[in-house]
Amino acid sequence: MIEIDGSEGEGGGQIVRNACALALVTGQSFRIRNVRGKRSKPGLMRQHLTAVEAAAAIGAAECTGLAVGSSEISFAPGKVTPGEYHFAVGTAGSTGLVLQTVLIPLLLAGGPSRLVIEGGTHAMQAPPFEFLDQVFLPVINRMGPQVQARLARHGFYPRGGGRIEVDITPAPLQPVDCLDRGALQSVRARALVAGLDQEIGQRELKTAGSKLAWAQELLVLDAIPAEYGPGNALLLEATFEHGCEIVSGFGRVGLSAEHLAKDAAGRMAGLLKSAAFAGPYLADQLLLPFALAGGGTFSTVKPSQHSLTAADIIARFTGRRWRFAQQADGCFHARLS
Amino acid sequence: MRPATVIGFLGSTLDAAKFGPSRWNKWRPSVGVVMHEDLRVDRFILLHGPAHQRLADQVAEDITSVSPETHVECRLLEFRNPWDFEEVYGRLLDFARAEPFDPDSEDYLIHITTGTHVAQICLFLLTEARYLPGRLLQTSPRRNAADAVGSWDVIDLDLSRYDSIATRFAAASAESSSFLKSGIATRNPAFNRMIEEIERVALRSRAPVLLLGPTGAGKSQLARRIHELKRMQHQIAGPFVEVNCATLKGDSAMSALFGHRKGAFTGAVADRPGLLRAADKGMLFLDEIGELGLDEQAMILRAIEDKRFLPVGADTEVSSDFQLIAGTNRDLGDAVAAGLFRDDLFARLNLWTFRLPGLADRREDVEPNLDYELDRFAEREGDLAGFNREARQRYVAFATSPEASWSGNFRDLAASVTRMATLSPHGRIDVDGVEAEITRLRRLWQSQARDGTAILDDVLDTAALADLDLFDRVQLAEVIRVCRSCRSLSEAGRTLFSASLAKRTSANDADRLRKYLARFGLDWRSATGK
Repeated sequence: MIEIDGSEGEGGGQIVRNACALALVTGQSFRIRNVRGKRSKPGLMRQHLTAVEAAAAIGAAECTGLAVGSSEISFAPGKVTPGEYHFAVGTAGSTGLVLQTVLIPLLLAGGPSRLVIEGGTHAMQAPPFEFLDQVFLPVINRMGPQVQARLARHGFYPRGGGRIEVDITPAPLQPVDCLDRGALQSVRARALVAGLDQEIGQRELKTAGSKLAWAQELLVLDAIPAEYGPGNALLLEATFEHGCEIVSGFGRVGLSAEHLAKDAAGRMAGLLKSAAFAGPYLADQLLLPFALAGGGTFSTVKPSQHSLTAADIIARFTGRRWRFAQQADGCFHARLS
Repeated sequence: MRPATVIGFLGSTLDAAKFGPSRWNKWRPSVGVVMHEDLRVDRFILLHGPAHQRLADQVAEDITSVSPETHVECRLLEFRNPWDFEEVYGRLLDFARAEPFDPDSEDYLIHITTGTHVAQICLFLLTEARYLPGRLLQTSPRRNAADAVGSWDVIDLDLSRYDSIATRFAAASAESSSFLKSGIATRNPAFNRMIEEIERVALRSRAPVLLLGPTGAGKSQLARRIHELKRMQHQIAGPFVEVNCATLKGDSAMSALFGHRKGAFTGAVADRPGLLRAADKGMLFLDEIGELGLDEQAMILRAIEDKRFLPVGADTEVSSDFQLIAGTNRDLGDAVAAGLFRDDLFARLNLWTFRLPGLADRREDVEPNLDYELDRFAEREGDLAGFNREARQRYVAFATSPEASWSGNFRDLAASVTRMATLSPHGRIDVDGVEAEITRLRRLWQSQARDGTAILDDVLDTAALADLDLFDRVQLAEVIRVCRSCRSLSEAGRTLFSASLAKRTSANDADRLRKYLARFGLDWRSATGK
């Protein structure tokens, strides 16, 4: 039984999700005390609960403490069974975060799976669907398994109700190196607008375009059916020779379109300036599959506290420890010791 | 954790919104309640009338879409008039009775934000009466922000679960019981328990209270504090009137208690309202009630029961509404058996009976009372008084020893403190002062003990007295005392043999008493001097 203090480090929800995935892959049980101990509303929230329940469902796990507000959970994994699964997460909780919990165990399972996950697809505090589809999954696919994701319906905060469908063909994870992203090939800005005035999207594109000096034809307004709304997201995409990065901003009441766009554009500018393959979100998500592959390296920006906590949890389950070494160009190379 | 079920009305106004994506920007209580990250609703019983079917369908669909964990059950509940209390309560009661609630496996939250005010009141009442076995759920929109989610709170009606409220109750209760104890931190658990009971009775009942206990045990002081407490709680407005019944003798007793009309008897030169009327809307403390004559007892009984009585010489009754506290150091049960106390009045008084222990039975309370008396002395005389450490230890050791009989109870203690404080230079009581006081107390209690049989000096000569065993001396002394308090041999016989009289095992009490006295060479005249 691996004992984890949830109040240590950062990213309470991430600790729970990573621990579930690692337990299913390694067959080890765990218990987390002080779940999300440092938060203003401590304990498990609904979307974490859905993630743990999803992990328990694919892995026949036995759990205790599964309740909203619970500060201690235990998770004893059984055997992971591939197949068709349907998960729904409330309150526009992220479909991507549920996928993050169950994807790796299913990648290593004995057969293909098909997942339908309902909830938020473009909601705060989680990367949007496009990040999964264009940034993260291509790296996974390079490692051996084949994962295809489709966005069937958008789900914005607060109503959620989006839907993604994911097909997984397992294969052993092969180490890959992602140190060099190669030359910039294309950029694009997309403003998604559903059930709101399209002018909001126009203003976001105009602000981001001028800040990044991107030409008018690279700025695309994407009108989403009004019945999926209300909702708005700005996606800034940069495609390189060997990879892709996406920076996003999500509209909400009280946040001006210009402010949102300026913030996203600033982050994209930083990413373009750096030579790193992985931005902070991608780095977080690569740690687990790379560790399970037993090797491989990637270059990234300065590791966040979030990443360091994830690396700690991985080390607790696998004994493999991540090292981040700063390079002359300012990037960090992440490598397993 | 048990799955949560929300029960609530569809809000025909609050839950309504223009159909279209903008409805998700509006706070709709029934939808917002399922949108919280920290509240998972597994089942939602949505009550609505047939007129709002479309809205109910829309809301149910939105609940399911935003909260896939929630299963919505719509229930038709038709009111002819949703503002009619009787109808709404009746319908909801029917609903609550028909619903197969299982509080052991489900947690119920009664959403009171939607529905008419009458519906909210009914939900509250049914929840408080446990027909709806859950807690109240209150939701509200977030301040200063257009937001669909809002905020939520669960209201548990069990007030003891709220720390600050419970603390206030406990503090108020400690305050009032401490008030009854005049702020003295008494340690005797039996006494403290009794004070708590008296407090509860005082605050909840207007029935007469009977305080038993030896002289000086604090009956009068306690009665006064009960009056104060009730006055502070606005339960009583009138004054505290205290009468020692032992001081009421003969004809003047009636008029002192019940008043008289001018000219009712010789000397009645003006109307006199009497003590009962003075206590109107207040409290009457009848101390030594056992000393009251039988006629007065009958009048008092009528005054308690009907709040009416007839003043001496008056043609019409007057009324007075007072609460009665009676005190006695006599055993009223014996007095009833002896025919000296009316059994109906005794029954009336004997509802809330409290027995105040003497100081000798509350030795752990000697010290707190000692401090209290020192404070009182300082307040009264304007001079601080205190012991030095050694002196205090010596005094407390004596005062709590079996040697200290405290036969005059708190009266003795007060007098003792007054003597020590007054005699000590600069109010510092030292060991010498304490030793002197201990000598005084010993002498006081010894002479009182001797006084018990000193009465025999009057009736027997020294030689006859020397022949008597202590056993007989004590018995004879008490018999003489009773004889002297009675008007005739027969009355004394009835008093002395009241227990036998009650069982009708003694035919002639007077004869029995006469024979007893004769054993010592005494008769009625020589025994009583009458």
